[in-house]
Amino acid sequence: MTVLAARGLSKWYGQVMAVSKVSFEVGPGVTGLLGPNGAGKSTLMKLVTGQLHPSQGSLTLWGEPVWNNYPLFHRIGFCPEQDAFYERMTGAEFLAALLALHGFPEAEAGRRADASLGEVHLGEARDKRIGAYSKGMRQRLKLAQAFAHDPELLVLDEPLGGMDPVARRETIRMVRDWGKQGRCVIVSSHILHEVEAMTPRILLMHNGQVLAEGDVHEIRALIDKHPHHIFIRCSAPRRLAEALVGYPDVVSVSFHPDGHAVTVESQKPDAFYERLPDLILTNEIELEEITSPDDNLQAVFHYLVK
Amino acid sequence: MAVSPLRTWREIRTIALVTLDTLFWSKKTFFVALISAFVVGLAVLARVVSAFAWVRVPFTPAQAFGTLMSTAVIHFLVVFVTLFYGTALISEEVEGKTITYLFLRPIPKPKILVGKYLALLWISAVLVLPVVLASYCVLYLRSDLRAFLEDSSTLALDLGIVFLALAAYGAMFALVGAWLRHPILGGLLYGFGWEGFVSYLPGFTRKLTITHYIQSIFPHDDPAGAIAMLVGERTPAGESVVTLALLTALFVAVAALVVREKEYVLEQ
Repeated sequence: MTVLAARGLSKWYGQVMAVSKVSFEVGPGVTGLLGPNGAGKSTLMKLVTGQLHPSQGSLTLWGEPVWNNYPLFHRIGFCPEQDAFYERMTGAEFLAALLALHGFPEAEAGRRADASLGEVHLGEARDKRIGAYSKGMRQRLKLAQAFAHDPELLVLDEPLGGMDPVARRETIRMVRDWGKQGRCVIVSSHILHEVEAMTPRILLMHNGQVLAEGDVHEIRALIDKHPHHIFIRCSAPRRLAEALVGYPDVVSVSFHPDGHAVTVESQKPDAFYERLPDLILTNEIELEEITSPDDNLQAVFHYLVK
Repeated sequence: MAVSPLRTWREIRTIALVTLDTLFWSKKTFFVALISAFVVGLAVLARVVSAFAWVRVPFTPAQAFGTLMSTAVIHFLVVFVTLFYGTALISEEVEGKTITYLFLRPIPKPKILVGKYLALLWISAVLVLPVVLASYCVLYLRSDLRAFLEDSSTLALDLGIVFLALAAYGAMFALVGAWLRHPILGGLLYGFGWEGFVSYLPGFTRKLTITHYIQSIFPHDDPAGAIAMLVGERTPAGESVVTLALLTALFVAVAALVVREKEYVLEQ
């Protein structure tokens, strides 16, 4: 069963093309929307949730257009990316007010608000003002308002941002459960392993276009073919470079202009990260920083668009 | 699918309460309360000045109250308060990015606008009507209560006129706020430019201002009204009240239409 269908969908803001001639279908279960910042994920999600009107093409949910189709919003829950709230309200007041707008009587709205707050472990903070919530609590509250009215379609824009590891794990579990229950969940992220933990089914976006859709393992295979950059700042970059160049997966090692760091290109990042601790210990190197300047996805996008 | 009036009322009331909570505790309200207190302060000053025998300012409480109502309340405070709140009704939610929570509910966007407009009207009335009452008391209360009681019917009329003005200007500025991306400038130009200037022009154009209809039913002999009436006749009172009510309804309806059709793109 198709829940969401986009046909030649485009959206532009003035001269800027945010989504360009996109066609795809999404059914029940969890679908990951992957892409780097600026890929058009948020615009696509706003189109799906009827916040924006398509400039060209069509977008339907259960066969109906979304824009100004108010009854459809009983069936949709949206967790926005932006950290915006009515700061003076308590968590319980916020949810109860939004549930009242869904037509729930006061008592039922209160009951549902409490249940949803409990689901995201905010039960004890129900009477606390949102302005006093931590970033992680605010993120969980955004999630709670998305599912409190029991929607069939959940659209979650970067839902794990700002959450601590425990909340992340819990949210990932919830998303997977919703998918198993037969709901349609569309979840966006620019971090591959986050999406991978929720679903193998993905839509890959870049520059407003859907570059690929399908199984995440195919994306993984592409990543393994593409050299992965790792930036390492340490006490002895030359010694580290000497130790690294012998490995067949290391394509290149370059020194940072300040002389205290190296950038390594590896074709097998998993193997590289596994061996790195031993290398550092053996060569008595002090590690200060390790980052990946182009995360896995960015590398894949470059690879796919070349 | 028909929606019951009770449910419609609940939805509008919820929007109004959420808006009121945000408006009431904002810095804006503190600032507006200060300005309102300043207008009462002007009444106190007028009373003090008139009490000194050596000043010999020949004005009665009725004259002082009429002038204050015209210059400080109708032409300034009402426009200022409704401009401040009205232009922010939608634009502030867009800037604060909270509009998403409202627009993703199964209620028509026009109802959201109406709920917000009612909140604007409520808070404006709460901040402005007491100023009228307090100024009247300050200027009229004496050991002899005759003048105070005699003019109380005029006070009731003043309160009604101020309420009508709040409703009409509030609706107009709600429209400006829903329509323009940066509505304050547009609101200032309309409120203090167009309204302030065109209502003194001869001919039909002055009938294109809210001020004209308010001046037509204004019960005091005030300088601003006198100048305006030099260039043309007043519109009959009944017609003015109906026109103000119709303008209010029209502005709210157009604002609702704008909100329904406009895409509010939130800054990333």
